[in-house]
Amino acid sequence: MLSSEEIIRTIEMLKNENLDVRTVTLGISLRDCVSSKAEELCSKIRAKIKRVAGEMVAVCDRISDKYGIPIVNKRLAVTPIAAVAEGLDRGEYITVARTLDQVAGEVGVNFIGGYSALVQKGFTTGDRNLIATLPAVLSSTAHICASVNVASTQAGINMDAVSLMGQAIKEISIATAEQDGFGCAKLVVFANMPEDNPFMAGAYLGYGEPEAVINVGVSGPGVVKRELERALQSGTKLTLGDLSEIIKKTSFRVTRVGELIAREVAELLGVSFGIVDLSLAPTPTVGDSVGEIIQCLGLTAIGVPGSTAALALLNDAVKKGGAFASSSVGGLSGAFIPVSEDLNLSEAVANGSLSLEKLEAMTAVCSVGLDMIAIPGDVDAGTIAAIIADEMAIGVFNHKTTAVRLIPVPGKGVGDKAVFGGLFGEAHIVEVRNVACSHAFVGFGGRIPAPITSIRN
Amino acid sequence: MGYDRPGIVAAVAKVLFDNSCNIEALSQTVLMGQFAMIVVVAPLAGSSAGTLQAGLETLAAQMKLAIHMRTLNPTEHQAFDVGNAEPFVITVRGEDRPGLVLAITTILAEQGVNITCLGAEVVPVDQRLDYIQIYEVDIPNDMDFSRIQKALREKGAAIGVTVDMQHRNIFRAINQI
Repeated sequence: MLSSEEIIRTIEMLKNENLDVRTVTLGISLRDCVSSKAEELCSKIRAKIKRVAGEMVAVCDRISDKYGIPIVNKRLAVTPIAAVAEGLDRGEYITVARTLDQVAGEVGVNFIGGYSALVQKGFTTGDRNLIATLPAVLSSTAHICASVNVASTQAGINMDAVSLMGQAIKEISIATAEQDGFGCAKLVVFANMPEDNPFMAGAYLGYGEPEAVINVGVSGPGVVKRELERALQSGTKLTLGDLSEIIKKTSFRVTRVGELIAREVAELLGVSFGIVDLSLAPTPTVGDSVGEIIQCLGLTAIGVPGSTAALALLNDAVKKGGAFASSSVGGLSGAFIPVSEDLNLSEAVANGSLSLEKLEAMTAVCSVGLDMIAIPGDVDAGTIAAIIADEMAIGVFNHKTTAVRLIPVPGKGVGDKAVFGGLFGEAHIVEVRNVACSHAFVGFGGRIPAPITSIRN
Repeated sequence: MGYDRPGIVAAVAKVLFDNSCNIEALSQTVLMGQFAMIVVVAPLAGSSAGTLQAGLETLAAQMKLAIHMRTLNPTEHQAFDVGNAEPFVITVRGEDRPGLVLAITTILAEQGVNITCLGAEVVPVDQRLDYIQIYEVDIPNDMDFSRIQKALREKGAAIGVTVDMQHRNIFRAINQI
């Protein structure tokens, strides 16, 4: 028996607090499509995606109507293309990417992830081909998302790959200069990349995953913020422990919604249910911001002293509530701090309270890393590589996922604004200090060895 | 039925006990000060419908209650069978006015949707007051729920209220372990 209080509270979360399912991502294995002929490979990829995902958007829309809960994004994730297209020439990688782009549009998803390579310990020919084609692919496709894993706790950090990615980011930025370097928003450089992440741009279907699987990303920070505000306005004296408890309970509710939707979509599509990703993913909407939660916790802005501790509290409480709600938790599962996608973070950059260094510090306690950060267009590839190396080190040495999604904005500098639109939002450009001071370090190349803590057996 | 106060249930239960009746099922509620109760009883050996009726009439006069008694035939014991159906919750929110219940229930009746529970109240939501009707309904599996959703939304828009219809499991998932 439902109480009217439960029903009214639920309706309020749905109507006024942005409770939604952030993404339903269908992972599809392309391992059975492999061919040494590009035409045959593309034909098999097209047929398989159409067969497995053809009904996905319609099914998601129907489930969304049934439960009255928005499913904001419908997306695909595939086996890393570096492996699927391994036998092809470099130029043919672009043909494969265009096929993926086209078929993604035809099945109605907004993004397809998996133009990816895992190179933490070294490159195959296919990996090098994929990285070399990133600028061409990301500047000429609408739906493709790319990711490259350059480091892991077990392998260490592949600094040659880090250098290559610094260069790739620069080239993509220049190739998409008219859109303020937007191509870089579709590329993530990872350490300890999860195989079942439903969020873009880093989603791909790992080698240990099933033939086809539904992974979901749950709702964003709006619900958590509103619960905290309600408690704080009640006049009761609350400690940080009490606030953590409120976040935990809210995370439980949100996760239950994610799992309910994921299981039903998976059943109707006849594929496996994979995981619920507990990440709090903000949007550029007022009231749906991780930065605003940090403000609820008593800080004037995200980035001021105390921000790392507040974010740690938030991230931990979200995980605890989510883990109680679902036994199938995976992906990134932490609070995101994507600067351009979170209005409050973007403003904190503009008013000077949030710096690149503070963002880096905060990534030690949350997921996923230096995310959606617009930097001056004249920052060189070597400096970008060094920033990537720092972020990878945080992930590798702390046994966690970290990532970098930097966007050098051609022709713009500190004080300017990059505009990407939609979910990607707009970003004030963040200052990068000490530019061109790290070339010799990055230039050594090779691999930063895995930490001693990786030897656990 | 009558004005709510302590002792009503006990007084009714005593009349039933004194007349050798066993209570099989009971539902009681209070709405804006008005007490209402439905009791289904099974007569045991020695029980008489006429004596019970007289006892209840005496109690009604003493306590200023309206009491109605009738004998159920065996087919009336079972709940209405809608066949294979899924439980949905309809919520109607907006300004209170005459005709809201009529508007919604007319659509449900036309579509053959059975209401299993219905309530309406004025509730404080944050800083404001909302008039909310909550219907729990069973939608037969062979019926297209989106057609009913559409009809309800359109009617709501026409009369200036917000109408939503959602599967009950979303409320369970969010609120119950």
